Amino acid sequence: MDSLIAKADAVGPAGKKRKLRHASSSSRPSTDKTFQSISKRTSIPKSLQSSGAISEGAHSYKHIANKKLRTELSRQSARAIEAKALIEDAELLLTGEVGRMEVEGEMDRTWRVGQDEIVQGAGQEGARGRKEWKLEGGPYRSRYTRNGRHLAVVGNTGHVASFDWQAGILHTELQLQETCRDITYLHDHSHFAVAQKKYVFIYDRDGVELHCLKAHIEPTRMEFLPYHWLLATIGNAGYLKYQDTSTGQLLCEHRTKLGSCTAMTQNLHNAVIHLGHQNGTVTLWTPNLPHPAVQLLAHLGPVASVSMDPSQGGRYMATAGKDQTVKVWDCRNWKGAVREWTARGGCAEVEWSARGALAVASGGTVNVYTSPTIHNPVHMNTQPPLYITHPVPHRPLTSLQFAPFQDILTIGHSAGLSSILVPGSGEPNFDSKEADPFENKKARREKEVKALLDKIQPDMITLDPEFVGTLAPPSKLTTETMFDGKPSVEIPFARLPRLERLRVQGKADETEVLSEDEVSGTEVDPEAKARRKEESEKRKMRGKNKSLKRYLRKQRKNVIDPTAVAIRAKMERQKEEQRRAKIAAANGGQNQKPSALDRFKRNT
Amino acid sequence: MVKISVLQHAPSLHLPTRLGDPTPVSRNLDPLMHPFSRARERTRALNAAKMERMFAKPFVASLEGHVDAVEVLMRKPGDLSTVASGSWDGGIIIHNISMRTHLLRLPRAHKGKVSGLCFTESSRLLSCGVDRNIKMWDTESGSDQPVMVFPGKNAFNSIDHHRSDPVFATASNFIQVWDESKTSAISNLTFPTSTETITSVRFNQSEPSVLASVGSDRTCTLYDIRTGKAERRVVMQFSSNALSWCPTHPTTLLLASEDHNLYTFDIRYLSTPTQIYKAHVAAVMSCEWAPTGLEFVSGGWDRTVRIWKKDKGSGEDVFHGKRMGRVSSTIFTNDARFVISGSDDGNVRVWKANASEKLGVVNARERAAIEYRGKLVERWKMDKEVSKVARTRHLPKPVYQASKLKRTMLEARRVKDERRRKHTREGESKPKAEKRKAVIAEQS
Repeated sequence: MDSLIAKADAVGPAGKKRKLRHASSSSRPSTDKTFQSISKRTSIPKSLQSSGAISEGAHSYKHIANKKLRTELSRQSARAIEAKALIEDAELLLTGEVGRMEVEGEMDRTWRVGQDEIVQGAGQEGARGRKEWKLEGGPYRSRYTRNGRHLAVVGNTGHVASFDWQAGILHTELQLQETCRDITYLHDHSHFAVAQKKYVFIYDRDGVELHCLKAHIEPTRMEFLPYHWLLATIGNAGYLKYQDTSTGQLLCEHRTKLGSCTAMTQNLHNAVIHLGHQNGTVTLWTPNLPHPAVQLLAHLGPVASVSMDPSQGGRYMATAGKDQTVKVWDCRNWKGAVREWTARGGCAEVEWSARGALAVASGGTVNVYTSPTIHNPVHMNTQPPLYITHPVPHRPLTSLQFAPFQDILTIGHSAGLSSILVPGSGEPNFDSKEADPFENKKARREKEVKALLDKIQPDMITLDPEFVGTLAPPSKLTTETMFDGKPSVEIPFARLPRLERLRVQGKADETEVLSEDEVSGTEVDPEAKARRKEESEKRKMRGKNKSLKRYLRKQRKNVIDPTAVAIRAKMERQKEEQRRAKIAAANGGQNQKPSALDRFKRNT
Repeated sequence: MVKISVLQHAPSLHLPTRLGDPTPVSRNLDPLMHPFSRARERTRALNAAKMERMFAKPFVASLEGHVDAVEVLMRKPGDLSTVASGSWDGGIIIHNISMRTHLLRLPRAHKGKVSGLCFTESSRLLSCGVDRNIKMWDTESGSDQPVMVFPGKNAFNSIDHHRSDPVFATASNFIQVWDESKTSAISNLTFPTSTETITSVRFNQSEPSVLASVGSDRTCTLYDIRTGKAERRVVMQFSSNALSWCPTHPTTLLLASEDHNLYTFDIRYLSTPTQIYKAHVAAVMSCEWAPTGLEFVSGGWDRTVRIWKKDKGSGEDVFHGKRMGRVSSTIFTNDARFVISGSDDGNVRVWKANASEKLGVVNARERAAIEYRGKLVERWKMDKEVSKVARTRHLPKPVYQASKLKRTMLEARRVKDERRRKHTREGESKPKAEKRKAVIAEQS
């Protein structure tokens, strides 16, 4: 018995023993330079790993008393840093080369280079992107699949075609013989939806009509949200409707109350639908809000086209209005356009490419601007430097589409479609898990099933998609109602919510909210953040002290009762404190030199 | 002069070179290429949690043969599939759980219930019963006559064998230590002032001369057979029904108490339990550690079998069957993959220790998928929905109602205590931690 206890005591808790071993093992490899060079980037056997040493920059949760939790958290933070380093390394492995066009002479301009010259310099494979499709029944609109392999076109009078433009395989060609206003692929090229005269119809790859969506009346524009499996349509009546294409049910319909709408786009990064209306407003919609999340007066006339920049995580929006202006907006701050300029010819179409080139079709030309110059304006009201311009003699130009993973811009116009080469507009490296232009039948099927399993619920669409998995903000609601510094209705400790119980015990860890951002690596100045938080809390405190004041007002002045006296004293105290805080804040900014006038200061 | 290059994908890089080759995969880890990655991962985690619950089919087999309630189960050391069970009618059966056959049947081994079973070093079986006899059986010859009978003076409640020596201990009104070759006890162990009936006795595995017992006097007593006396004991609020020594951490002792809880003690610090395990809604009748020492199983009067993680006082897995009676005995198999329970209805049931584990061959891809799903659930366990799916267990209605009632009663009691405290003079009645409530006294 005693020997058992003695032995157990000698061995000590398991944790200590482990630590000793790590200390010895980590000291050994630190001298070995080869080990050091490889240890960061490779997975070495567990016995050689120095798990005691936390990688630099990792958060050490020293304030957390629970040892297990602390180790787990610091391990997680170290792992996150490692993962980030590995992702940075993985960029080296990207093989695709971005297309580009550079002029050498000082007086040369890239926009002077015509499509013929670009085609000549493009090489055999690249030159295949330059095409002219002469079709009757225009004007035409087009849409690519997410992998850029397939193209669907629709003419205004009902000519619909879907084809693999790279291999030259026509999937289907239909003459619907009624007005068709828009076309979009669903999750992949096996289904597409056409906005026809009265309803939306869904066809399969071979052109067999599968569904007639009678809920979508007189549709004008459609967008498919691929990760949510939602088909959003807007029509002449101004109703935005969401149809779940995996279950088939109409998810919701929002009445925009802004009439017919012909400008629609989606933000790929948060699945918010942007609509441009006849009265010049642009509205942002999510399925779970019955009113627009953002409403913005963008133009002094109808909005003709809206487009979101996919290259910056959905930060910039471009709008074109019938008032002949094109505006670029910053979606974080709607105070004013980042840049605006006049596009002659009116009725412009705008479209961003995957690498942030902005194409504007106005009058009879298509102009392309490249990314950093668009939103770093020297002069806010001038056109950014032109990158490429291309005249199209078939007005009106009704649609612009950049082909994903290609340097191709497809222009829809009254005489069909023409695709031009825009070097540097396409993303060169695709990810096979997301969209693969070279996928085979089996891969496509597998992706379809996987995408269905990963379908995100529509009520998770918000302006900030990163809210998933973050800490919930601390609740403003409290179970305790305080009066005069004491709870008026006392809730037993046992019935308090967990967080409040911890707070009462002094065990709640409130520091975590602040440190969260440091760990995730977004470069936020902690001071600024603290200040912001303080300010917002200050603003939240509406009608401060109102109840006390009201209480005093209601009391008759000449009656001296102990509560009123206590409250008066308390208010005095608070006022004094505020004054003191104000003075401290004024003094705290600069180091005040002692001055001769100090003696006249009131002692506080 | 202009330099022009247009983006082009070489098909040779992205298409299989020969027929039947796998299609090359290209990755781009730029977060902009993967919108909603977090939301999608959460969806995947939720699906993983649901799949885990979907695949959770813990029941494997029911072994029949007894005509009355099963009282005791014992696994054979060093054997994955041999399990002995004893019942209230005095019958003993040795099961082969992988073949689901009986290796040996002893229908009338004892008169009255068989209260204890254990295997000796030479793979003989020792059984004790309320008929005041200990009998030794030869399991290999298959004869239904005992090799040896050790007559006692009192009804026996439990028996356990020393890990290496041919010595075993029995529990009746006191602990008796026997030698396998002698028909009378070599020593009697008892705590000086005790007058209790001892219900269970177990040898420590690492320090095999130490043994612990629990008794009707609400005590848990530690003895050493070398000194031949009781070393210390702890008196608790309620009596315990069973005990088990942790196989990997020799000072850890697990008690299954009558007050619906399980307690682990570090025997160096007997004044408070190291952890209380609360979930049963009736007395816990049995408990045993897994051979890995990471989890343990308990069976209760509430007709459920529960599997607990070490030092985790809740969040256990619950197994129950429609026709399963009160569980009187539970053990792990030697590979820690299965749990065996014996219950009132006379059946011995085999359960998977990990409810959603797939039995049979699991290929590499499937294993990778299972591991990925497990990791996802672990990573997203803080999410409300994911944790709810992962945590929720279906309970039989009576158990669910009882647990609800119990929760209400306990909370009411807590609130009442608090109110009472509020109206007494300050500092006079301090709240007592749950752990400190369990133990009344430590004696040595």
